[in-house]
Amino acid sequence: MHLDPFELHRPTSVEETVGLARSLAGRFDYLAGGTDLLPNYKMHLNLRPHLVALEAVPELTGHSLERLGAMSRLADLERDPALAAAWPALADALREVATPLVRASGTVGGNLLVETRCFFFNQSYFWRASLGFCLKADGDRCHVVPQKTTCYATFSGDLAPALLVGDAEVEIAGPTGRRRIPLTGLYDAGGDGIRRLTLQPGELLVAVHLPPRARGRRGRYLKLRVRPAYDFPELGVAVAGRWDGDGRVQELRLAVGGAEPHPRTFDDLTAPLEGQRLNDARRAALGEEVARRVRPVHNTFLVPEYRKKMVAVFVRRALAQAEEGRAA
Amino acid sequence: MGSDDRVSFTLNDRPVQAACPPERILLDLLREELRLTGTKRGCDLGTCGCCTVLIDGRPTLSCLTLARLVEARSVTTIEGVSPAQGLSAVQRAFVELGATQCGFCTPGFVMTATALLREHPHPSRSEIEQAISGNLCRCTGYLAIVRAIESAAGSAP
Ligand SMILES: Cc1cc2nc3c(=O)[nH]c(=O)nc-3n(C[C@H](O)[C@H](O)[C@H](O)COP(=O)(O)OP(=O)(O)OC[C@H]3O[C@@H](n4cnc5c(N)ncnc54)[C@H](O)[C@@H]3O)c2cc1C
Ligand code: SF4
Ligand code: FES
Ligand code: FES
Repeated sequence: MHLDPFELHRPTSVEETVGLARSLAGRFDYLAGGTDLLPNYKMHLNLRPHLVALEAVPELTGHSLERLGAMSRLADLERDPALAAAWPALADALREVATPLVRASGTVGGNLLVETRCFFFNQSYFWRASLGFCLKADGDRCHVVPQKTTCYATFSGDLAPALLVGDAEVEIAGPTGRRRIPLTGLYDAGGDGIRRLTLQPGELLVAVHLPPRARGRRGRYLKLRVRPAYDFPELGVAVAGRWDGDGRVQELRLAVGGAEPHPRTFDDLTAPLEGQRLNDARRAALGEEVARRVRPVHNTFLVPEYRKKMVAVFVRRALAQAEEGRAA
Repeated sequence: MGSDDRVSFTLNDRPVQAACPPERILLDLLREELRLTGTKRGCDLGTCGCCTVLIDGRPTLSCLTLARLVEARSVTTIEGVSPAQGLSAVQRAFVELGATQCGFCTPGFVMTATALLREHPHPSRSEIEQAISGNLCRCTGYLAIVRAIESAAGSAP
């Protein structure tokens, strides 16, 4: 498959990058590892005439226990035992993204901003033209929930839930300067599968910051998929927390991805468990409540009824396994 | 980027320069422009690993790499892994242990295995299975491939 022509830019600083973004207003995509963008370009999905490659911007690379540059390659993070010990849910998630070959190129920034997916969207131009295009690319209807305004494409990144339970923050640079927001705020909870991010036009993800207060929480990320070697998540559940010597919860976070257009947290359900011991009944009750709220639609391999049931199962399992410390 | 539509890099230890518009994918440049057809096009979408090459020693899917972005880097393809005479240890093990049937996936597996053995000269079986989990083979059932990599381990890959 050959790509349609575009112009390629290769800035060498964050300032130059956002300057380019301003001048190319809306007519470009950032290119990180390209493992998400280039397959989509090959399928003629939402092409832009310019690509701004980020690989030569030094500030975006490198990682520590507190900061992951947006261009950190997943394969490099996966090979850092200190990072895995400090952030066990993240370590689980890193191992579960795609394949080792995809992870050699794929980056943290690209993973957090990975395009939402749908059975009717991730198809060749010919396939989509034959069925009729949809809202998310070239069309005016949705094949999953037929109506004219909302897209239900699924957020399918594995790292976001694992970073959410580590209270991660993201550093963003844009034409008007820099800002730092909680990772939850990157995703537009009021949006849909198309308008899914809160990034302003031209904004660049610079880094993920991992707050020391959350370091060393026990954690677990569990992923549901059809083929374990390389499928995208049909569901991803992340848990992180601390327990005291009596097994009482000191702090607890839970996040779900792979099921809706954006990943989300459930602080209002986990906060009341602080100070309590988790037993089978409490874990099951939490699982049922989370499953009640999560609403998958039929746009991936597995039917939504099954994925919804598995939310409850995965929440239970992830909680138990995190508490046991079987994370790293 | 450079206004002239060219790319210069090291290919199998030799400097090359080629005409290359920005949208050219590395796999296409290798196969169609440079006529190195050992690197295979399977899925063209990142799933199968048939197109694996080494970029600065790192296994990389050439079907998802813009050729212009290998400017000044070093690319090794299956054509570049054999010593001047004969086969590399990984290649020899694949032949001797029957780890290749139709052979379409083999260049990708050899590149992945070569990179693995450079990083871990003595990988465990599960490390081997993990490392090749992005390479698909529709013929062998993988067992012979895993055995071949085990047998090549320890000898200079
Ligand atoms: C076979 C296959 C299987 C896969 N399976 C999985 C899976 O199981 N789980 C999973 O999570 N992903 C999966 N992926 C998707 C993808 O490989 C990963 O999400 C990867 O981490 C994306 O990173 P990238 O650097 O390649 O992103 P790119 O493709 O370069 O970029 C992705 C998007 O993010 C934008 N972007 C990237 N970086 C920045 C930045 N710093 N600032 C602003 N915008 C930016 C790009 O413009 C683009 O829209 C798979 C891909 C393939 C090909
Ligand atoms: S959910 Fe509907 S609009 Fe969105 S990608 Fe799928 S078919 Fe298209
Ligand atoms: S051809 Fe590149 S992964 Fe299949
Ligand atoms: S030998 Fe035929 S695909 Fe692997």
